[in-house]
Amino acid sequence: MEKTLQVLNDLVRTEVLSRYAIGGAMGATFYVEPVLTFDLDVFVVLPRTGGGLLTLEPLYEALRARGYREEDECMNIEGVPVQFLPVYNALLEEALAEAQETRYEATSTRVLRPEHLLAIALQTGREKDRERVRLLREQARLDQKYLNDVLARHKLDVRWNQWKS
Amino acid sequence: MEILNPEMTRLLTAKGTRRRKLAALPFPDKVRAVLQLQRMVAPLWRARGKQVRVWKIDEPAMRNVTPHAP
Repeated sequence: MEKTLQVLNDLVRTEVLSRYAIGGAMGATFYVEPVLTFDLDVFVVLPRTGGGLLTLEPLYEALRARGYREEDECMNIEGVPVQFLPVYNALLEEALAEAQETRYEATSTRVLRPEHLLAIALQTGREKDRERVRLLREQARLDQKYLNDVLARHKLDVRWNQWKS
Repeated sequence: MEILNPEMTRLLTAKGTRRRKLAALPFPDKVRAVLQLQRMVAPLWRARGKQVRVWKIDEPAMRNVTPHAP
């Protein structure tokens, strides 16, 4: 996976991406026991096009030019199907802005904070998100004040209280 | 309320300990564990008609810890 992250870093260096961070199941796996997944969810901030549109096409073009190919909704980068998810709301913007810098072997990368992963799972609200919330509650070291602030800011405290009970 | 017998209590405690141990692994080791999970689960999912792709990456063997299915 290190090579995959090196490609992502290169996309930032060449300004194809403004910023990225790992989220989804693999992001959660950073903080909890390994969770089965078959793709790598990567949240991205894309540079705005001339018309102000947000589109993944320039990113996909840059990857195709490097020899990578699409597989369904993912782009296969060095053997890992990567699903790029452009940030589309205030919670994701904040999560990406405050993602943690870390290292994977010798390569630097960014992972969403566990409090944001929990908030995103609450907001998404699927059955598998309940399991993610449960795992994060049980195993991740959550900053409770930080979490409470995130949940209040994004109006997720009611659902949090429902899911906790 | 049903009371667990001591052996079941011991097994559940051990399971919880193991999960905490897995949660504390370094991230690269967890990625290796996810790869093992993918290899374990993919044939079962494919038999049910779901298309999945196991990651094609070279990762060194994980140190002394193997995953268990979720």
